[in-house]
Amino acid sequence: MTRASTMARSLFATPLAAFLTVASGVFMAWLGWHALSWLVLQAIWPWQPAELCAKRSGLCWPFVIEKARLILFGTYPFDQQWRALAASLLLMALAVLTGFQMIGRTRLRPVTFFAVWIAGLAVAVVMLGGGVPGLRPVPSVFWNGLPILLFLAIASIAGAFPVGVLLALARDRDSYPVIRNLATIYIETARGVPMLTVIFVGVFVLPLTLPPGTSVAPVSAVLVALIFFHGAYFAEDLRGGLQSLPQGQRDAAKALGLGYWRSVGLVLLPQAITRSLPSLLNSIIGAYKDTSLVVVVGIHDLVSTARMSFNDPDWRSHALEAYALVGIWFFLSCAFLSAIGRRLHAQREKDPLQAS
Amino acid sequence: MVSMTDPSLPPPEPRTVRIWDAVVLLIVLALAVLLVRNVLLNMENAGLQPGFGFLLDQAGFDVSESLIPYSPSDSYARVVLTGLINTIVLAAVSLFLATLIGVIGGLVSVGPSLAGRLLAAGYVELFRNLPKILVLLIFFVVAVNALPPVRQAISLGPIQISNRALYFPSLEWNLALWVLMAAVLSGGVLAWAWRRWVMARFARTGELLPVAPVSVGLLVAVPFLAVLVFNVPLVPSVPELKGFDFEGGMRVSLQFAVMAAMLGLYHGAQITEVVRGGIQSVPSGQFEAASALGLERRQTMRLIVLPQVLRIVIPPLNNQYVNLIKNTSVGIAVGYSDLMSVVGTVINQAFRPIEMMLVTMGLYLGLCIAVTSLLNRWNTVLRRREGNA
Repeated sequence: MTRASTMARSLFATPLAAFLTVASGVFMAWLGWHALSWLVLQAIWPWQPAELCAKRSGLCWPFVIEKARLILFGTYPFDQQWRALAASLLLMALAVLTGFQMIGRTRLRPVTFFAVWIAGLAVAVVMLGGGVPGLRPVPSVFWNGLPILLFLAIASIAGAFPVGVLLALARDRDSYPVIRNLATIYIETARGVPMLTVIFVGVFVLPLTLPPGTSVAPVSAVLVALIFFHGAYFAEDLRGGLQSLPQGQRDAAKALGLGYWRSVGLVLLPQAITRSLPSLLNSIIGAYKDTSLVVVVGIHDLVSTARMSFNDPDWRSHALEAYALVGIWFFLSCAFLSAIGRRLHAQREKDPLQAS
Repeated sequence: MVSMTDPSLPPPEPRTVRIWDAVVLLIVLALAVLLVRNVLLNMENAGLQPGFGFLLDQAGFDVSESLIPYSPSDSYARVVLTGLINTIVLAAVSLFLATLIGVIGGLVSVGPSLAGRLLAAGYVELFRNLPKILVLLIFFVVAVNALPPVRQAISLGPIQISNRALYFPSLEWNLALWVLMAAVLSGGVLAWAWRRWVMARFARTGELLPVAPVSVGLLVAVPFLAVLVFNVPLVPSVPELKGFDFEGGMRVSLQFAVMAAMLGLYHGAQITEVVRGGIQSVPSGQFEAASALGLERRQTMRLIVLPQVLRIVIPPLNNQYVNLIKNTSVGIAVGYSDLMSVVGTVINQAFRPIEMMLVTMGLYLGLCIAVTSLLNRWNTVLRRREGNA
C-alpha cells in the first residue's frame, strides 16, 4: 500500500473523520484564499504608488512603510528615536538572557544575574528619559510603542518577582496567623479582580494617597499597580513550588542550625523557584500579553500606536495592516517564551530528580 | 488538622502572640492610617466629602445599551447596576460560547481526523500568543469595515446584520411569556422527578424504565400544552427597518457581539487545551476494560470516560471561568457599556475614584466567588457520587 493511500485511509477512516477532514479542509481553504488574496493578489507592493491602496482591498505596503516608525516608537521625538530603539534592544536582550538562564544555556551566578538586571533596567530608563549629559530629557508621556510595552512588561515582572516571593513566604508561614491571613486576603483579592481595576486604582487612587502637593506620572502609577497585581499571581506559583518541597528539606535546614531567612534563602527558595518555573513562565506570558491593556488609561503602547497610525484620515481603512504588524510582534515574542517553556518541560522529563 | 491523639507527634506549641505578627500588623495599620490621612487631606483640598452618598446623585450621561430602563436623569447607582447587568449577560453568553467552542475543539483535537487536529492546534496556538485586547480590536475593526451600515443591512431571512447591531426575531414580551417560562421550568422539574423515581425503582426492583426520551418529551410537551391550554398569544416580533434603525425583534449591539466572539474564541482556545488534556489523561486501559465488560461505545463514554474527564477538567475550567468574567472588563476598549466602562465614566465625571473602585472590585470579586463556589459545589457532588469525597 502506498503512503498516500495510507494517509487517505486515515483521513477518511470513519464517517466522522471524513466529515471533520472535509469541514476543516473547507475552512482552511476559505481562510487560505482570503489570506492569499489579502497578502498577495490584492496587495499593493512597496514600489507601487500609495494611491492604489484606496482602490484595492489588499495589504498596503506603502502604509506599512510610512507608518512603521510611528507604530514602533509613537510620538518619541523623531531625531532621538535611536534611543528608543537602543532601549528596546537592551530590554529584549534582558528578556532573552533571562530565558537562557532559565533553561541553563547561560549560567550566571544569581548575584551577577540580578546586577545585570538592575543595571539593564537603569540604562534603559536613562536611554528613554535622558536628563544626563548628551541625552536631552524626554518626558515619559512620549515613551510610546515598543519601548514602553517592553519597559512596563519587563520592569513590572522584575518588580513583581520579589513581591511574589515575600507574599508566598508570608502565606506559607503557618506559625504566624496574622501575617498568613493578611497575605492570603491580599493574594485572593488581587486574583479575583480584573487587571483593569488595578490599573485604574494605580492611575486614579494612588495619587490621592500621596501627601498633598506630590504627583506621580501615569507611567509610574501604572508600573506600581502592575507590580502589585502580578506579584499576587507569582506568589501563588511560588507557593506551589514551596509546598511541593518535602518536609525533610525544612527539617534538614533546621538541623544544620540555619535560621529562618538562611534556610529560605539557601535551601527552600532556590528549589521552590526551580520547581515553579513552568507555572511562573505561564504567568509571565500572561502578564506580558496583558500589558497592552494600559491603552485604556492613555499609555501608548504598541496597540495604541497602531491605532494612531490609522487615525490619519488618509489611512482610515488600513487598520488591519497596523494590527497585523503588532500581532506578528506578539506572536513571535510569545513564541520565544513558549519555546523556553517547552524546553523547561523537556528538561524536567529527562531529569525527574530536578522536578519531583 | 493534626490529631491530638497521634503519639508520634510532639505536643502542639502553646498559642502566644507572635512578635512578628504584631510588628507586621502595626506596620500595615500605620500605613493604612497614613494613606487614609492623605486621602482625606487630598479630598478636602478638592472640596469633596468621602462617602457613598454621591451614588444617589444624577448620573447625567447615557450608556450605549441597557437591559433595564435607564435615562441620564437616573442616579449613579442605577448606571452602575446597568453596567453590572451588561457584564453579567456578556459573561453568561461568553461562558456558554467558550465552553461550547472548547468542548468541540477538545474533541476535534483528539479526534480521528488529522486535518481537524491540525486546525485545532493552529487555533489554540494563534490565540495563546495574542493579547486579548489586540484580538478584540482586530475583530472590531474587521466587523465595522466589512459589515454594511444599518440601511443596507445584510438580511439572512429574518436576521439582519449591520455594522451597528445584529437584529434577531423574538417573541413580544408580555405576560404570556412568563406563563411559557413557568411551563418550561415545570417541564424541567417533572423530568428531574421522573429520573429520580426511575432510579429509585431501579434500585428496588431492578427494572429500568427509559429516562432520556421521557425527559425530552416532558420538556417539549409541558410548554406545548401550556400554550394550548392557556391559549397563550405568542406574538412574533420581527425586526423591520423604520427610518434610520430597525424596530422590533431583539437587538444585539456590534460591541456586544464582538466582545462575545472575542471572549468565546480566546477562552475557547484555552478550554480546548483543558478538555484535550482531560481526555488524554484517561488511560487506554479504561477503554479496554470497558469493552471487556461488554459496554457499548456510548456506555463507555458516558459511564467510564466522561466522569473521569469531568473530575480532571473542572478545577482548570473553574479557573478559566473566573478569568473570563474578569476579562469582560476589556469591553471598555470598544465602548461596550459594561461595569468597568461605566465606572470609568463615573470616575471621570464625579471624581470619586476610591469609592467607585471599592464598589467595582467588590462586585467583580463577588461575581468570581459566586461562579467558583458553584463549580466547587458541583465538583464535590461529582466526587461524592464516585465515593471519594
